[in-house]
Order: sequence, then structure tokens, then C-alpha cells
Amino acid sequence: MNRKNYFKISVVLLISSVFIFSACKKYDTAFKESPDQRINTALAKYESALTGSAAGWNGTIRTQNGAIYHFHFRFDNSNRVNMFSDFNLETATTARESSYRLKALQTPALLFDTYSYLHLLSDPDAAVNGGDYGVGLASDFEFSLDSLTADSVLLTGRVHGTKLTLVKATQADFDAWQNGRWATTLGFENINKILNYFRRINIGGVNYDVRINSVSRTVTFTWVDGGGNSRQFTTSYSYSATGVVFVTPFNTGTQTLNGLEIVSWDATNGVLNVKVSGTATTISGANKPLKVDLSAPQRWWQTAASSGGYWISLDGFHVNGVDDAFNLKSVPNYYFVVYWPNYNPGSNDLFAPVFINAAGNGLELLYGAAPRAQFTVDGRAIFTNLGFYGTYPSSGPVRQSLNQLLLPQGYYFVQTGPSSYDMVSSTDAKAWISLELVQ
Amino acid sequence: MRSKFLLVLLLGSVVFFSCRKEDPLVVDDISGLGGDTWTPTAIDKWLHDTLVIPYNIATKYKWDQSELDLNKNIVPPKEEKVIPVMRSVKRVWMEPYILQGGELFFKRYSPKLFVLAGSANWNMDGSITLGTAEGGRKIVLYLLNDFKNKTMAGYVPADSAVLKQMFHVIHHEFSHILDQTIRRPVEFDNVTKGFYTADWINTNDYAARQDGYVTAYALSSPGEDFAEMISIMLIEGKSGFDAIVNSITGSSVRGTTAAEAKAKLRQKESIVVNYFKQAWNIDFYTLQLRVRNAIVNEIY
Repeated sequence: MNRKNYFKISVVLLISSVFIFSACKKYDTAFKESPDQRINTALAKYESALTGSAAGWNGTIRTQNGAIYHFHFRFDNSNRVNMFSDFNLETATTARESSYRLKALQTPALLFDTYSYLHLLSDPDAAVNGGDYGVGLASDFEFSLDSLTADSVLLTGRVHGTKLTLVKATQADFDAWQNGRWATTLGFENINKILNYFRRINIGGVNYDVRINSVSRTVTFTWVDGGGNSRQFTTSYSYSATGVVFVTPFNTGTQTLNGLEIVSWDATNGVLNVKVSGTATTISGANKPLKVDLSAPQRWWQTAASSGGYWISLDGFHVNGVDDAFNLKSVPNYYFVVYWPNYNPGSNDLFAPVFINAAGNGLELLYGAAPRAQFTVDGRAIFTNLGFYGTYPSSGPVRQSLNQLLLPQGYYFVQTGPSSYDMVSSTDAKAWISLELVQ
Repeated sequence: MRSKFLLVLLLGSVVFFSCRKEDPLVVDDISGLGGDTWTPTAIDKWLHDTLVIPYNIATKYKWDQSELDLNKNIVPPKEEKVIPVMRSVKRVWMEPYILQGGELFFKRYSPKLFVLAGSANWNMDGSITLGTAEGGRKIVLYLLNDFKNKTMAGYVPADSAVLKQMFHVIHHEFSHILDQTIRRPVEFDNVTKGFYTADWINTNDYAARQDGYVTAYALSSPGEDFAEMISIMLIEGKSGFDAIVNSITGSSVRGTTAAEAKAKLRQKESIVVNYFKQAWNIDFYTLQLRVRNAIVNEIY
């Protein structure tokens, strides 16, 4: 080896050392920025979108029981939000301010962090929203932000998975809340203030009985078809700025109805003015069903008698628009009122209040009336009293309830479920009691 | 010459091409690090001025699921309830202790975090929890949305149940802190020794009293018994506690006579009174009077 070779070797060694010692492992990252940078960017983007709409956002939420609620949100840039909601008349009329914040909870999240109209749906106290105790309507107020487009934001609740959709509102949308248009629409629930049990609407020359459940937001139409048979259609409904929207359109046979336009509520006469496909009509009280269920009273009596069961009602009689009209709940330890068909076999039934015993761990029957039910050919049950068990009070809520039961004109029966009936006064349908079977 | 120059160049390139190391002290702006922030409102200012500055007590009224049971449906409080509740807490719990024990005592031992919830904490069995506490540091108050004292519109006497329960929780937890700082006398544990049970949930208050316990929960352990004695005596006041003792009649299912049960409750009372004097130099009956008067001012 000569010097030249040494030199060549050293050069090769040095060149390779450039590769060996200066090489370094590079990580391949899917994103240019770190997760923290990206979440901050995302939060900033959502915040500027939310606060950027001058007329606010239209929100639609669908709870687990299927009911749809509408909201109007106006977010400002100091963590405050103003809200309207079609939850009830008050929330549709008065805007309420509360707070919100955007937070990184693994994903970008929007939190409504103090009580607002949105929380009415989530409140675990069922007395607030008609849901279940401990759960409410199983709705959310903490949402992960799923996607953002120019005029809409999609969100998913972090606990119950409630879907919330925000769509950029126009000034007209905002005005519809401010000028009470939504409040008028919510007047639909005033149907339940009509004093008669039966509520009727005439659509295209045909009469329909209307029944609504404002908690689950369902409406039921009952009518008599050409063959004289009773027909029924039930759908969920939601509200819009103009009226009620049927989730499943109602095909009457001659036309398809997508909803009702609500015009006004006439409190004096108990009449709701509406428009159906542009034609003005009304929903008002009726004192008799469109078609009397002739066999209902006997079915009602026999169902309990043959199974050894009895009928109970927690609320007692509803009379002239007042629930528990005789104030049974003011009687100490009152639990429910019972109607027990065939209590004394072949002879008489039992009508009595049932009380919680002194120890608080059982029920007791202190006294009762011994009525008998007779069934008329026109589908009524008439009750006559044959005597008493124990000392029946001569006045007060319990006696008034008995007097109501013994109404000489009797009652129509409406089956509301597999084991529930409503018993409706045949005089004017302004008194009724809802009964459930216990066996 | 050229070859030497080449060598130097190659050596230099080794240095030049080596990797850049990132400075480990440069970190990203981590979202939420150091706690959530928002634009402060009048409520935040009031809480800061009234509770944080003088006593270093934080109040969390904005929703933070991590502070509450993850498997429960709970909602945040209405904003308009926050200040009235904390004002009442200050009057019924803080001020009496500060007046009797001194500011230094209170600052040193008070729990440092209040978490507020709007609804109750609903349990599987349909019952509700109105307050919980953790480790002498954090107290959770529920059902703020139903909070009403006599100054608020629509107050009815029945609303006082929510208030008293709230004050009960706070006094109960603070009693634990005192107990854990200076241990309660051993003779307290011996007064009703042998009856403590994890099955207290199946007992009601009256049955517990027949055995010489002030509430059913007091049956769970001597430590809870001690905290229940202190908190019930404080919130019910002297005459209220006397009424509880005097209400005991008959014998318990375990055979304790009414006279024995009364004597045991009285014995526990005197141990508590002595403990406050010796451990904390606090006159218990004056403290009791102050707390009860504050509660009476809230509800009547």
C-alpha cells in the first residue's frame, strides 16, 4: 500500500461516516401540526363560526323517545348564549341567557355549562319534562363537534348520543321567535285545555276526533270510514314557525296532510283556529265520540273480572278542566282510587280509596262503596250503589268522587291501551277518569 | 493541498448534516392546561372577591362532568341560584366558625372546593342524594335549582328541607376534617360500641335514635356518628336536639330502653362539647347558637 491508497481509504471512510453519523431517524407524521395545535385551530374555527352568525343558529334536537325540539341559539364571543325553544310556551316567548364554552374533551366539544332551555330536556327530575325520574328525556347538553360547513354544524351528545343540528338562521327565522310566531304555534297544546274529552276537526267534509300527547308529542286521528268502521292514525309531530308538522304524513284517502297551520287559540270559547292545506277550520270540543265503542264498557268490566284484577286511578276524576277535581290527593295517606269489578262475586263491585298504612310499607282499605254496573245498548255503563263497606264519609273528596261515579246518565268507555281505559261522562264529556288494570 | 481541503470539507459535513435536536422546553399551547377559562361575569367576580380572595375557596358552578358521578344524569345550576346559595353557605357555615374559632383556624382547615349542581343526584332506587364530599377538600351541593330561602319569591316552609340538608352536608364534612386533624376522644367510640353496622341503610332515623344514635347514618361507623352528632346538633340547635332526645320512647329491637338511649345521646353530646373546648378552644353551645340563628334567619 502506498500513501495514495491510504488516502483513498480515508476518503471512503469519511464519506461513509457522513452517512453513518449524520443520518438521523425522521418520524413520519400524518399531520404537519401537533394534536394540540390542531385542536386549538379546530376550536377557534368553531368558535368563529358560532359567533359569526348575526341572526344566530336554528337548532334541532331529537331525543331518545323520538320527540323533536327546536331551538334558536345566539352565541356571543364572551361565552354567553341566548336561547329560545319550542319546549313550552314560556321558552318560546322569552329568551334566556346562559353560558357556553368550547373545550377539548378528546374531540372539540361544545358545552352548555349553566342551566338553559336545553337542560330542561336533560333534567333528571321527571316533573320538569315528563320523562323518567333519574334520566329525564335522555338528552344532552355536552356535545362533540362532528363537522362544520359554511352554514351548518353537526353535533353528537357525549352521554346519550343525542343528535343536534345547527343551521345558520336568517333574520326572518330569528324574528319568528321574537315576534311570538312560535308561541302561537305552541298554542296547539291548548287542545288539552278544551273542556270536553272529545276534540273534533273537520277536514274536507269529514270529521275526525283528535287526541294529542304533548309529552311524547304524538297526535291521533280517529274517524269513521265509508263502511262505518272506526279507523285510527297516529303520528309523532314537531313544531315549525307556522304550525305542526307530522313526522309521518296523514293520508286521509282524499289528500295527504303534512301538518296543520296554527292560526290562534280562542280561550273564551275553547276553540283552536287552524288551517289545513290553506283552508280555515277549527278544533273544538265534542260531547260524544264520532263512533261509540258499543262493547267497550262490558269489555272493561270483564277484563278485570275474568283475571281477578281491578282498575285503579291515581288522579281520580278530571272535571271541567281540573285534574283531581275533588282533591282526593288532599286526603291523608291517599294512594289511589280503585274500581274492583265482581268484588263480591255475582253481587256487587267495589269503589274505594286505597291508603298507605301507618308504617308506610303497605296498603289498606278502610271503607268502600258497593256499586253495580249496568250496560246499555248504546254503549254506556251506568253505576248504581247497593250499599257500603265500613263507614263511608258523608262529605269531602271521597264522597264527591262516589257521587260523580253514580252519575245517572253513565259513561262511555274509550280503550287507550291494552290494559287502560278512559271512562268519559256521557252527559257532556267534561268529566272523565283514566283507569289502569292491576292484576 | 486539494486533498487536505477535501478532508476538512468532509469532516465539516459530518457536523453539518447531523440532526437538529428539538429543545425539550418548547411545548405546544395545550388546550385547557391550567383549567378552563371564560369571560368572567358578575358571578365570577362575586365568588372571587367573597370566597377566593379571603379564604382561598373555589366554587365551580359551570358544568364539569369530571367533578360528578359519570354514570348519573345531573344538570348544571341556574346562574341566578349561585350567589344566593353561596351567600347562605357563608352565613350558616363560615361566619359562625370564623367568629368562634378565628380566621386563621378557618382558613387553615376549611375545604377548598365547592362544586354546584342544579338537579339532585338520583340513585337507582329512586332516592336522591343532596350532597357529597371527598377527602376533606371538595364538597358537592346538589339541587341548587330548587334552592329557596325566605327572601325569595314563592318560598314555602317545605323548601327549608333542601336548605337544611345542604347545611347538614357542609357541617358534616367539616366535622370530619376537625376529627381527622385532632382525633375525637376514644370514649366517644365506646358509648354505643357494638352496634355500628354497614347495614345502616335498612334502619330509619327513629329506630337509630332508640339505640342512642342521632341518625341512621350515624350507625355506619364511629367517625360518621361523630360527624352526624356535630352537624345535627348545629343545624337543629339546642332545643331541636333536645326535642330529638325527648322524642325517644319504648325499647329498641336490640333491647335498648328509652332511658338508656337518651343517656347515651347526652353522653355523646358532652364528649362533643368537651372536644370542641379542648381541641379547638371553641365554646360549642355558642357556636350552636350562632349556626341555628343563621339557619332560622334563612328559613323563617
